[in-house]
Amino acid sequence: MQKVIETVLIGLSTGSIYALMSLAIVLVWRSTRVVNFAQAGQAMLSTYIGYEIATRSEVFWLGLVFAIAAGALIGAGVDYFFMRVLFKHATTGPAAVVAPVIATLGLLGLIRSAVGLIWGGDLRSIPAPVSRDGYTIGDTTLPFSPLNTLIIVSVCLVLIAISILFTRTNLGLALRASAYAPEIAQLAGIKTAQTRTIGWAIAGGVGGIAGMLITSYNFLSPNSLDLLLVFGFIAAVIGGLESMVGSVVGALILGVGLTFILNYVGTSLTFISGFLVLIVVLLVKPEGILGSRKGRRA
Amino acid sequence: MRKRLLFFILLGWVLLIVGDRVDELRVYQGAQISMYAIALSSIVLLTGYSGQVSLGNGAMMAVGGYAAALTLNNLQTPIWFAFLMSILASAIFGALLGASAARLSGPYLAGTTLALAVGLPALANQFGFLGGEQGILFDVGFPPERFGEEFSQYKWFFWIATFIALISLFITSNILHSRFGRTWRAIRGNSLAAELAGVHSARMKVLAFTISSAIAGLAGAVLAMTISLVSPGAYTLSLSFALVTGAVLAGISSLPGVMLGAVILVAIPEFADVVAHRLGDSEKVITHLPGLIVSVLLILSVIFTPNGPGENLRKHRKKKSAH
Repeated sequence: MQKVIETVLIGLSTGSIYALMSLAIVLVWRSTRVVNFAQAGQAMLSTYIGYEIATRSEVFWLGLVFAIAAGALIGAGVDYFFMRVLFKHATTGPAAVVAPVIATLGLLGLIRSAVGLIWGGDLRSIPAPVSRDGYTIGDTTLPFSPLNTLIIVSVCLVLIAISILFTRTNLGLALRASAYAPEIAQLAGIKTAQTRTIGWAIAGGVGGIAGMLITSYNFLSPNSLDLLLVFGFIAAVIGGLESMVGSVVGALILGVGLTFILNYVGTSLTFISGFLVLIVVLLVKPEGILGSRKGRRA
Repeated sequence: MRKRLLFFILLGWVLLIVGDRVDELRVYQGAQISMYAIALSSIVLLTGYSGQVSLGNGAMMAVGGYAAALTLNNLQTPIWFAFLMSILASAIFGALLGASAARLSGPYLAGTTLALAVGLPALANQFGFLGGEQGILFDVGFPPERFGEEFSQYKWFFWIATFIALISLFITSNILHSRFGRTWRAIRGNSLAAELAGVHSARMKVLAFTISSAIAGLAGAVLAMTISLVSPGAYTLSLSFALVTGAVLAGISSLPGVMLGAVILVAIPEFADVVAHRLGDSEKVITHLPGLIVSVLLILSVIFTPNGPGENLRKHRKKKSAH
């Protein structure tokens, strides 16, 4: 019984990091209709910036703030200098449909190799802000540590902040409107292009937090966030790719599920299970657990 | 069809003569070019014709490579049978994956195949019979004695790779010019209209994915031959990236373009090496510069000539003739 509870807790902590990544993917997908594969790269670059600040100043939180800011700037920059140009050029011909996806892939490759050129391929780690040793109750030490608590709490705070932003502010209304019906939003006086850039910035910032949090217990390298991207994508698909709540729920389910497999079956099957979950969801419920039904199948 | 066959025979003859005249390194690179040409044709078929994006062709190549090596090592079969098995195994794998993912629109297929590309090399580490990080040997043997003493191993690779590439490209070009090619283009252009015209679009997409995987698997076996090894390190995410780049550079829907794309992909590491030496030979630069060049080329070409340089030339010509 104790092991079950531990597994659920650890799973929630892992899942909440997936939640940030899948939220970032969903935010961009809603506004731009592109699954941004560069999200992993953007988050990784922001984490490297956060890492530099955190190791130099020896304050994790300062690094986190810088990682968020860098993530937001990079996200906005990608949309402004990159996606806008792309959508202006690649409009006709056989490549029009596939160009955006391929472009984000190119960007992922660019960021990976640029980071590799600057920082090299060595594994780096950021000292965690709180203890990584598990809580002790009586004589037993749990695998669940203050760091896990911190991760869950901070992800909750981020989610609350984002839901307030989206439901209680004018900016959030504009974001939702331009994602839902860009032309009507434009008629209502919303500058949809700018709103979209803000959406990319928010996604980038969220990605930066995800990178910093996962690096506080894992190593950082130019491709260390690839798996996070994959699991974030799977979580987003579980949630329907359209719904922000769905992506978070999907990520928590995925995190807990994979941790159960990790603890009870073994490491070798975690990735395969994640992949199988993706295939099964696509086959059985392609609209996701909370998604709408239209526009899913080709 | 007969013209095309004649062209391929002629091309093979020219390559044979050229292969005799150049040095060992170039011959080896020739084998690599043939390998990339096969791999790129799988992307042209899938993305350029049927309009689906797969980021996992590197993973499909891995399936083909492992299938070929396991067949050759465990069953002691002739080489051609190992290559045949690589096609078969990756086709089955592609059909299974395609049946679930290819029916879905763009982002789902792209994401699923990306997941595959990220995860498959890691999977190989977890199963003992796949040889872990070191991989397994794939040795096609020495060239037959009747070619004489002078006939080098690299030239043998080049002959096999080019022979396979010519046959595979010939078949692919026939497929693309057949009913199937036209149907795929119709689906890509407007899938609703295609369905109204009686095309079973989901089935055709799965078919495209399966054929594309089969070709990629064959390329994977050829790649394994040129490095005499199948290991997770040979089929990385960067390989999938490079393939997409090569296909986009050469014009995503142009089959002759794959030869240009393949030459570029082989030239990039060479070029990067030269630049890295200029910059002072640090390990960082040597490992990451090729990737940087590949990505920059991909981004520039997808923004400025998303349909390949051929389209821009055509536009240019049209403008000129209008004057």
